[in-house]
Amino acid sequence: MIAVEAVNSSSTAAGDTQMDRVKQEQASGVADRSTKRPLDIRDHGDTGAYKTIGTPFVKDAKMTARGVNVFYGDKQAIFDVSLDIGRNEVIAMIGPSGCGKSTFLRTLNRMNDIIPGCSVKGDFSLDGDNIYGEDQDTVLLRARVGMVFQKPNPFPKSIYENVAYGPRIHGLAHNKAEMDEIVEDSLRRASLFTEVKDQLDKPGTGLSGGQQQRLCIARAIAVNPEVILMDEPCSALDPIATARIEELIDELKENYTIAIVTHSMQQAARVSQRTAYFHLGKLIEVGNTKQVFTMPRHELTENYITGRFG
Amino acid sequence: MHKTGPHGQHISQRYDAELEDLRASVLKMGGMVEQQGRAALESLVKGDEELARSVAKSDKQVNEIELKISDQCTDILARRQPTAGDLRLVIAIIRIVANLERIGDEAAKIGRMAKKLVDGNERQSYHSEPRHLGEGVLEMLKGALDAFARRDTDTAMEVIARDLQIDEEFKALNRLLMTHMMEHPNRLKNMLRVNSCARAFERIGDHATNLCEEVIYLVAGRDVRHLSLAEIRERLQN
Repeated sequence: MIAVEAVNSSSTAAGDTQMDRVKQEQASGVADRSTKRPLDIRDHGDTGAYKTIGTPFVKDAKMTARGVNVFYGDKQAIFDVSLDIGRNEVIAMIGPSGCGKSTFLRTLNRMNDIIPGCSVKGDFSLDGDNIYGEDQDTVLLRARVGMVFQKPNPFPKSIYENVAYGPRIHGLAHNKAEMDEIVEDSLRRASLFTEVKDQLDKPGTGLSGGQQQRLCIARAIAVNPEVILMDEPCSALDPIATARIEELIDELKENYTIAIVTHSMQQAARVSQRTAYFHLGKLIEVGNTKQVFTMPRHELTENYITGRFG
Repeated sequence: MHKTGPHGQHISQRYDAELEDLRASVLKMGGMVEQQGRAALESLVKGDEELARSVAKSDKQVNEIELKISDQCTDILARRQPTAGDLRLVIAIIRIVANLERIGDEAAKIGRMAKKLVDGNERQSYHSEPRHLGEGVLEMLKGALDAFARRDTDTAMEVIARDLQIDEEFKALNRLLMTHMMEHPNRLKNMLRVNSCARAFERIGDHATNLCEEVIYLVAGRDVRHLSLAEIRERLQN
């Protein structure tokens, strides 16, 4: 301390050092942060026109959604959202509870159709096909656009039957040998086969949570989907099971297009190439994940991902 | 120019306190090296042996606070996983303290030289040759620390621009000292010491420039290291 004090006393003539200036600023109430109230969950609540910041559109999109509005009865849940899901990419949708991210995800394979009072407006396409067209078979659509849910929900059947069910109803296997191959291949792609190969006839519900979720992923990919929607697939899993699912997502993106809704910002940052930030039913910002997590362009995005509200 | 940066409080008040504490530590360290630099210049131009000795030894405290700040950064990275503006703050600070520590080293070096010059028992006017250069560099350092405290990229740009003048001034001083050396070969050793001091000030100017580049990264999210002034302006515009 002695040396610094010596320096201190000797330079008082020079005076205006950094600490002095900061003290003066603090005394005079000049703060470096802006004095206006920061934007938070209450803001951007008006229902007028707005513009999504960033890059919602990509070249050669796998799925496109344009001018999407979703209502639950009188209540509007999604406001004029337009977004592309790029081919063989993982897009993460983040935002505070009630922001519409899950609702939007469910419009992509018409899961909202089964909710009474829910109406969906807008144009959706999958490789150019209108997925809300009158001649669109929703069962076929959901085979092309599969879904994995928050809570693992295996059928109360054997592990084998869980995976074989989809291919059977879609007629993808012509005999037992083909079906065995589909089941094994799907379980392998879901990184589950080696763990369950000796107990394929045991109930799927007897597996651990992480294994059950991988079983559900195997079930989803058994019907050869093009897109996999994941609605908080890891929220019921421990960190190790979560890491395995994330590793799996990384492998699956080689062959599939994946849209994932997650409450874990770190997970969005880890697994996705693009990130979309939803807020009170609006799509506020879309960008490359690296950009969104290092230099978000909208104040709401910044405040949400840095933990200033949510 | 103020782009998106941290606005308002975190839900976790403790996290706010940690980040504020970190910022305060950096400002404190900045204040310490600024005082060191000022004392180094004063000891050199006035030939103040006492002061020179204290400057020569003062880098110990700076090293200590550097370790403390590094530890704070590691702690926040490990426990908070900062993102966006918070992440840029921590990353910028890690690089800022490295530069501040080097500035402290340069100031201590000047202190050691100043001490030897006094020991050399020659009260010659050339001791004070680096006065103007030193003052210019200390202005840069002050500007850089202000730019950090206020998240002000305009001030940062001014400081970066100023480094070009400092470099020119150092070259001119170099030529001047060489002329002195030729005229008075018996004072060669001390002249070289004065030249080393000038060199150390010039290095402090470079570190101040680095600080400003970190301020631009922190505020605007653009990595502008190793770019020319014109290139930096261009990056800031788009």
